[in-house]
Parts: sequence; C-alpha cells; structure tokens
Amino acid sequence: MTVVSRGWNRLTLPGKFLFILVPLLVVGIAALIILITAFGQLAIDTLAANLPIVRFVVAATVILLITVPTAFLIIYMEMKIIALMNLRIGPDRVGPFGSLLSVVHGLKVLMKEDFTPTGADSVVFTWAPVVVYLASVMTLLVIPFAPGLYGADLNIGLLYFFAVSGLAVVGLLMAGWSSYNKYSLLGGLRAAAQIVSYEIPLTLSVVGLLLLAGTMSLNQIVENQQGWFTDWYIFQQPLGALIFFIAATAEANRTPFDLTEADSEIVAGFATEYSGMRFGFFFFAEYVNVFIVSALFVTLFLGGWNAPFAFPEAWQVQLSLDPASFNIGLLFIIGLAPVVLTLLFAAPFWLLSSRIKWWQALLIGFVLANLFIVTLALAWAYIGLNWVAGILWFMLKTYVLVFTFVWMRGTLPRVRIDQLMGFAWKWLLPASLLNLFVTAAAIVVIGR
Amino acid sequence: MTATTPRPDAAGSQRTSSLGDDAFAGAPDDPRVQLDRELGVFEPVPPYPPRTEREAEFYTLRDGEMFLNMGPQHPSTHGVLRVVLKLDGEKVVDLDPVLGYLHRGVEKLCENADYHHSIAYLDPLEYVSALFCEWPGVMAFEKLLDVQVPRRAEYIRVLSAELNRIASHSLFLGWMALDLGGLTPILWSFIERDTIVEMLASLTGQRMLFNYFRIGGVNGDLNHEFMSRLGDWMSHATEQIEAGNTLLNENEIFVRRMRGLGRIDSKTALRMTMSGPNLRATGVPFDMRRAHPYSIYPELDFDIPMRQEGDCLARYLLRMDEIKQSLRIIDQCLHQMPDGPVMAKLPRLLRPRPGRAYAGIEAPRGQYAVYAISDGTDQPFRMRIHDPSFLHLESVGLMMPGHLVADTMAIMASLDPIMGGVDK
Repeated sequence: MTVVSRGWNRLTLPGKFLFILVPLLVVGIAALIILITAFGQLAIDTLAANLPIVRFVVAATVILLITVPTAFLIIYMEMKIIALMNLRIGPDRVGPFGSLLSVVHGLKVLMKEDFTPTGADSVVFTWAPVVVYLASVMTLLVIPFAPGLYGADLNIGLLYFFAVSGLAVVGLLMAGWSSYNKYSLLGGLRAAAQIVSYEIPLTLSVVGLLLLAGTMSLNQIVENQQGWFTDWYIFQQPLGALIFFIAATAEANRTPFDLTEADSEIVAGFATEYSGMRFGFFFFAEYVNVFIVSALFVTLFLGGWNAPFAFPEAWQVQLSLDPASFNIGLLFIIGLAPVVLTLLFAAPFWLLSSRIKWWQALLIGFVLANLFIVTLALAWAYIGLNWVAGILWFMLKTYVLVFTFVWMRGTLPRVRIDQLMGFAWKWLLPASLLNLFVTAAAIVVIGR
Repeated sequence: MTATTPRPDAAGSQRTSSLGDDAFAGAPDDPRVQLDRELGVFEPVPPYPPRTEREAEFYTLRDGEMFLNMGPQHPSTHGVLRVVLKLDGEKVVDLDPVLGYLHRGVEKLCENADYHHSIAYLDPLEYVSALFCEWPGVMAFEKLLDVQVPRRAEYIRVLSAELNRIASHSLFLGWMALDLGGLTPILWSFIERDTIVEMLASLTGQRMLFNYFRIGGVNGDLNHEFMSRLGDWMSHATEQIEAGNTLLNENEIFVRRMRGLGRIDSKTALRMTMSGPNLRATGVPFDMRRAHPYSIYPELDFDIPMRQEGDCLARYLLRMDEIKQSLRIIDQCLHQMPDGPVMAKLPRLLRPRPGRAYAGIEAPRGQYAVYAISDGTDQPFRMRIHDPSFLHLESVGLMMPGHLVADTMAIMASLDPIMGGVDK
C-alpha cells in the first residue's frame, strides 16, 4: 500500500490525470467496440427506418447551434458599424478588429449572477427567456438556406413561421408581468400591443405573394423565383415588400420600433430585471430575430438562394472532379502542391526585392499559397456543389439586409407608441389590403 | 466554542424589538419607519403622512392609475432627478419631481470661503457651461468692490463664454436626440463639444470646470495654442454644425415627435419665470444681453433669435439659431479685440465695503444671476444663486400631463435642465 501511495505522490498533476484517464479510455473503447458489434446493425436499421425523425433531430440541433455564432456575428456587426457611423472606432481590442468581443460578451453574460428579484413570480420569470428564445429559433426550421439544406419543407411553411414567431409575444408578456417592476410591465404591454398589431400587416402583405406563388412552402416559393433577378417577387410585389419590411422591423423590435426596450424611456423594458444568461437569452433572441426576419425577406422577395443571374446552360462551366480518379497521384498532389506553390509564390518576392530576406519571402509565399488553395477550393465548391453556391448567395443577401437594420438603428430616433399604433392601423393595414386587391385583380385580368 | 459566541441573529432581534416600544414610533418624520419595509419593494409613496394638500391629492390613486418612479437612477433624467409619475396606462396624469439628490450647499459653502474661493465653488453648478456660472459671481463681486474690468479682459470673457455656449448647445442637441432614441447625434455633437472644450482647456487649463474668470479680469491672456485651435475650428465650424443638424432637422420621425409637444404660451412662461431659449421659443424676445446689457455686448452686433410656437421643436431650433449668433459674436470679438491688461489692479485680500450687489447674465439656459451681500469682511455675508434650470423644471408640471411616458423625457430634454444647477 505504501509503495503505491509513494508512487502516486511522485506523479505530476498531468500524470495523475493520465493515470486515471488512460485506463478509463481503454475500458471505454473496448466497451464501445463490443456495443457496436452487438447492436450496431440494429441501431443503423432503426435510424434508417425513422429517417425523417433523425433528420428532424439533426436539423433542430444544428439550428440551435447555428444561432450562437449568428448572434455573435450580428452583435459584432452592430457594434462595429454603428461605431463607424458615430465616427468612433468601436471594438478593436479582442481578436482581429475586435471581432471576438461579442464572444467575450457572451462569456461575461454567462458568468454574471443570475438574479431573481423579490416579489417576482420565479417560475414564469425563469421560463420567459426560454419561450422568447425558442420562438425565434424554431422559425429557422422552415427557412431554406440552400437547395436541399433546410430543416423541414412544410407545405404550410409560411403559416408555421408566422404562428411560431408570434409566440414570442407570450414570452415578452411573461417577462413583463413576472418581473414585479413597472418598467417591465410597461415594456411587456407595449410588446403585446406592438407585435399583435404588426402581425396583421405582416401577414397580409405576403398574401398577394401567395396568390402569385400558389404555395405556402418556402422551398417552392424560392424555386418559383429561379432565373434572372428580375424574376424575384420584389419586382412583382414592391408595395408588399415595403410593408413586409416595415412590419418585420416592428416584429423584430428594432429601431425605430424598439419601444419594448426603449432605454431612454422605460430603462430596458421587459428585460429590466433580468441579468446573467437569462438576459443573454433575450439578447440572443433579438439578434437571431434580426437574422430570421432578413432571411425570410430574402426567401420571399429576393429569390432566396438563387443567384441574381442565370446564364444559359451552354455557358456554364461543367466541372466533374472525382478525386478518386487520381489514384496514388492524389497523395503526391497533397504532398507536393503546398511546397511547390509556396516556393512559386515566394520566388518573385525573393528575386525582385533585395530588402526581403529569404525566410520572409517564404512566409509570404506560404500565406499566399494558402489563400490560393482556399480560393481554389471555394471556387470548386461553388461550381461543383449546388448548395455551396446557394448558401453563399443566401447569406450575402441576408447580411446585406441585416446591415440595413443596423444602419437604421444608427440613424433613426424612436417613434412614439401612439404614432406606432396609428401607423400600423391607419397606413400599413389599408396599404396591405390594397396590395392584396390589386394583385388579385391583376391575376384575374391578366390570367397569370 | 458555541457557548461563547453570540448568535448572529441576536442583534437583529434586539433591534426589531426596540422599534416597537419607542417613544418616537409612528412620528411623521421617524427615519426608522423605512426599516419596516419589505426589502426589494420600493414604493414611490413617501413613508410619512402627507404634509400638504397637494401631496395628499397627488399620492392618492384613482381607479386605473399607478405610480411610476422615474429616477434618481434612470438612463435619461439628466443627472439625479427623481420624478414620480402618476400614470393612466401610458398617459401621464400628474407628476411630482423630487429634488435634492445632488444638493451640495454651494451657497453656504461660498459664505464660508473668501471671495476668490467662492468663484471656484460656482463652477460645478451647471457643469456643461461652467464659464457662465463664474461670470455672474465675478460680476457681483466686482460691483461690490467697484472695480473696472479692463476691456481686453471683457472681450476675452465674451469670447470664451460664447464658445462655451456653443459647446453647451451642441451637447443639448445630442441629449435631445438620445432621449428620443437616436444614437448617433450625441456622438457627433460630442465631437463639436470636445473641440471647443480642448480649445478652452488650452486657454484655461481645465476641460470642464474652467475656473478662468477672476474678480477684475481673467486668469491669463490669450495664448498661441488657443488661437490656433480656434482658427482651425472656426474655418469649418458652420459646415460641421449644419451637418450635425441635418441628421435631425430633416428627420420625419424626429420632427413629428417634437412638433406640438410640451407647448407653453408666453403668458404662462412669464408667470413661471422662465427665461433664456425656453422663453424666447414662446415669442418673448427677452435676452439679458440686450435687455440688461452687461460687459461689451452693447458694442457687438448680433440678433436675438425668436420663435412663436413654444413647443419642443421650437426650443430645439432656437438653440440651433443661437449657435449661429454665437459664431457671429466670436467673429466680432476676434476682430475688435483691443490690446491691454487682462487683470485689474487689486489687493490680494479683498474686503469690499458693506453693501449688496446683483449681477445677472444670459447663460445658455437662461438668466443666471448671483445676489451677494457683503458685511465688510473678506467673505460674502450672504450669497444666493439664481439658476434657470430650477425654474424651468418647475414648469414641467404644466407641460407633461396629458402626454405619454415616452414624451416626458423629450420634454425634459427640450428644457435642458442641469441637475447640478437645480440642486445647487
């Protein structure tokens, strides 16, 4: 016994960890192998039999995971772009150009105390951020990011979107009511009034588009818009697109309609009493909402994942690259190409400039070679893989719209609640009805 | 071990028991009444029975009304003002401003300091326009001492003070927009303010609380750095201010929210003893620089901008017009600046004859005045400061009822109160 303990004491700290971990790992792997040989085929069969469920679970997980980097990116965009509009520098300390600051924000929010005020209805208070967050995340399920890349292709996709995103108001009301704070209460009531009012023009503005498209499946709507960019629905439904954009801004609680969290009036609205990760959920939900609203606008009016041009088939580059056809040559390519490319890119710098030393030239060559390979790979993926091109176009359009939202936040002051409601009921609702009637009449007259 | 240490809750239980059989328990001003409150629940209703009829009427709620305690910690109360709003839904029915969170007793401090020290106490009253706080004090003391200020010193005073007026007004523009939810104008106007403040720092040595005016002149002549900074800025000042304004002036949301908001007519404004831009926005062309001329203002050529509407938009636009007039004044000061000393010959220890003096000036927020009484010693016997922000805040009660919660902040911002001056 003493021998063992002496040996144990002589181990360093990592040694002690390894001493425990390695045997555990060996046993675990052995158990896994036995399990797979025994039940592997059975598990694969079960999964294959229930492919839709598997697909759904995978899609849901992926979407839940996507929201985090998306929110981080949009938060960073907002910080940096508004800073530039304000003639400030903005975040520039953490990471290149401060790009990791939103990650730091996320960690900070995680580490803060999760505080429930006295008098709050703690159960409702706890669940409110979850409802808000899930309501916005679940809508991502029906958005087609690229051909074949979507959570679920529901034939009532658009209806599902409006129904689920409308649930967020329940969460906001829960937060406003349970916080036991009058600012929160006012924020919650404003949220209810605002979102319920803007839901109507938002839904009505796309009815004209639905008449044109003849379907509610978002996938089908995108496929209808294939071709040149003139085929996008924004050119057939300009008024509808405008109403949709305004109403969507209000739905996402963005400036100039950010009354629910108007910081100069009602402190932080429904989020006043929240701290820590519960506040983080609200914060995340807001930015995910911006992404979702932009994505839906792109899907409905800007052709989704379609490229804005459609060249004739004959012009298109046909690329059928099968890596297996190189046989053993593939190994040589993988081994030699980086070296050769590095030398190739380094050579001109070394030869043409006497000030650059050989190792500096090699470094530059290495970076350039990497860039070249990445560009080649991307180009190959863009041409060869349908969904890569799709997702690139989709994200490009979406982030242009996200930029527009950020731009508005940097420029516009906030409207008042009575102006907001008056605008929805007096202007947007009649305009969307007009849009609907004109579209319907045009379809009858022209006969599609 | 357990026997000797007192239980942690022993002291607490003793305290609660002593509260009950106390001779002063239940007295209206018993501070310990507040201890009985449940933690974390703050009611804006004061813990004592109402002292006046008005208080009794305000703190009784009718059906469907609620109190909203705005401040003293609130993102846009411009300092530490607390306003108890009585709301019906989001509509403000009535309000009760609670002051005194920033009270420092400046007037009393001045009575216990000699004349030179008193000037330093005046600076932090309206901290965004500190030169205007010094000026009436200095002027009142000069009247007491019967000192003639050199003309160059007067010109320098007017020059630096008008610069400070522009800084203050451009900061107002930013605050106004920020209280309406616009993020950008505050930072644009801070650029303007920072340029001016750095300029004044090279003249006075401080960025914010300049402490530059002295009894009988100013502390130091114009220097090269100040003049070069001023020249740089003057070359593009008009353009830059115009650019900042267009972001708001042509903004439909901003104009719609401001027009017709917090309207007050000239009679009411005079009755509420408003002054400065807020009074001029109602159509009364009262400006201390013209009505009761002081310093070298009679020699300068400038207009008194005036508007008739008396609403928030008029108050905002009027201040923007004033910036242009200030630029005109600065230009004239620079062209007419005489040579000579910047400080009158005075003994080191000032003992004015017994008497009283009043001096009022036109500050960015209105008539700023000091009334000082001397008893022949080296300290002012009494000193009273007339601050326009305090009087403007009084009229908030007339403007706000009937508007929405969102507008309370806009009205407050358009009056441009500085809590440092309100609470003194």
